[in-house]
Amino acid sequence: MADAAVRKRGFTRRTFLGWWIGSLMTATIVTALPPLLVFLWPAPPKGQRKGPLTIALDTPMDQITDGQAVKFSAPTSPNSAFIMADGGGGNAAGDLAFGGFVVKNQGKINVFAINCSHLGCSIALNESAKTFDCPCHGSRFHLDGTVLRGPAPAPLSHLTWKQGSDAKTIQVDGLTLGF
Amino acid sequence: MSDKGVHRQGPGAAAAPPHELPVVEVDSHAGHTLEPEWKRLPIGPDHILYPVVVGLALFPILMGDAGHHLADDMPDDETHPFFPDHFWPYPIIAVVMLVTVGLLSAFVQKNLQLEPVADPRAVTIPRPDWYFLFLFQVLKLGPELIMALGTPAIIVGALVLWPFIDSIAGPRLAKRFGWKRWPVPGRNIYTGTGWLLFLAFLAGLTLWALAGPSFCLPWFSGPVCGA
Amino acid sequence: MAIPHPREIQMAVVNWLDERYPFTKAVDESLYQRVPNFANAFYYCFGGMVFILVAIQLLTGVFLSFYYVPDAGTPGNSPAYNSVLFIQNTQYLGWLIRGSHFWGANILIIMVLIHMSRVYWTGSYRAPRELNWIVGVIMLLCILALSLTGYLLPWDTKAYFATEVTIRIGGLTPPAQLGAFIRDVLQGGPVVGPPTLQRFFTIHVFLLPGLIVLLMYIHFRFIRAHGISEPL
Repeated sequence: MADAAVRKRGFTRRTFLGWWIGSLMTATIVTALPPLLVFLWPAPPKGQRKGPLTIALDTPMDQITDGQAVKFSAPTSPNSAFIMADGGGGNAAGDLAFGGFVVKNQGKINVFAINCSHLGCSIALNESAKTFDCPCHGSRFHLDGTVLRGPAPAPLSHLTWKQGSDAKTIQVDGLTLGF
Repeated sequence: MSDKGVHRQGPGAAAAPPHELPVVEVDSHAGHTLEPEWKRLPIGPDHILYPVVVGLALFPILMGDAGHHLADDMPDDETHPFFPDHFWPYPIIAVVMLVTVGLLSAFVQKNLQLEPVADPRAVTIPRPDWYFLFLFQVLKLGPELIMALGTPAIIVGALVLWPFIDSIAGPRLAKRFGWKRWPVPGRNIYTGTGWLLFLAFLAGLTLWALAGPSFCLPWFSGPVCGA
Repeated sequence: MAIPHPREIQMAVVNWLDERYPFTKAVDESLYQRVPNFANAFYYCFGGMVFILVAIQLLTGVFLSFYYVPDAGTPGNSPAYNSVLFIQNTQYLGWLIRGSHFWGANILIIMVLIHMSRVYWTGSYRAPRELNWIVGVIMLLCILALSLTGYLLPWDTKAYFATEVTIRIGGLTPPAQLGAFIRDVLQGGPVVGPPTLQRFFTIHVFLLPGLIVLLMYIHFRFIRAHGISEPL
């Protein structure tokens, strides 16, 4: 067959040209693609910086009673968010949160990020049951942050904090967003 | 001046006599039976409305040559011309659609009102639009990775591959049941019922979500409520 | 000099065109082709309805973009949100154009589902039409992606949180690095914020409409090549 005869001739001018044009086209794509992909990768905006955020609490730290949770939000000016210290499920260490809870449970103070470990909805304190409830998909957490019922797969994330200059303020690790 | 050196064809054909452009011809009608001329709408090339007809035809012209169709082999009384016999309902549908969306936007403005401006510090229950409610409800039924990514991936994968699943598994099943052929879903107890069950599954989840947070049904992980 | 009848001018134009492209023949071929009578069944019209609705969406979408500002702004001051309010409440017939885009999108999804059900029910996905079914499923995904990205553009609370949940779901993709990559590229930053709106706007206004018009072209080319499918 003619086909077989052509194939037997091995490396011909035609084969060379085929490889030549093939490599030219590959080179075109290889040259164009990486810059485009890199361009998609977001650079941090100017003015983005990490640092402790000073938060004023509604209830001073020494007046929080056992089983009480105090909600606080990240400052809006400049627009900032808290950095989670740990996390599981939908949260991970380094993720951002726009709010949190200071909660006293059996004498121990914890500061949690507000995001449910399922898909990040804001949890709310259930006063009567003494739990944190997620309104989105019905997850519930104990006041120590562990899961009471799913679908949340992991405990609440902690925020890194220290006492501020007085009992009313705390310093929470966060990020000034720059936008 | 002699004729030598005067281009009669191609670029710079200064002295080419008029009307020598060759008329572009393609093969006649590619084996299609067209509506005979005397039965067509009397809007020929010399009619004032011809530009409108051309506008209508531009779309199918863009769409390229038609293949050999069923209609080309059918007797005349079992077919009809595309224009205007087949085309006339579509302008009516278009007007009805336009009037419908216009009336809806005039009288059902509730759905168009905005909530307060986005605030990441606000506490709300995010709720997707109705066409994603079934996925929203599925999320509540099990581990997030399987439910959030597995379910849509399986649905999309099955839809994309469906023609092949049907053509490979169908005839084998038909042989096992002793059927002569594997009918289309509209006449097939298995694929037809399967589709209805699938739609009922989606509709059921959507209704469950629409029923609201106070409507709860028991589930393995505890009662699951609507959205 | 006698003034030529308008009909003669028109014929001159048509003849001029005909000499350069088989113009009248192409018109005749596309309009007077015969269609089987069974194609008159009402359930063959849903695809056409989807086409009409997509045309309405493209038209109203372009008009909305004359006033929409894709800038989320700073907390409490959002040009995007304000521009949607302006379209809805201040601009002449803004409620009509935005409303048509909104309701058209909802009806479009219903019609797409009905069209798809019809194609399934009559077995029109079978050989030789498998590729057209697959193109159709991809268009369904495009339309869902358009709805998803369009939902964020008004930049109100429900849009914000719905998008956050969606992006988190995308971020679940294993392995974790790939999930994080998808999340960062969709969000354009560490949280859902102004860069996210910018990205969703571009996807909604440039990428997906272009893709869907291309896919519709392929869809129709396939239909013209295959002809309408036989009834049940």
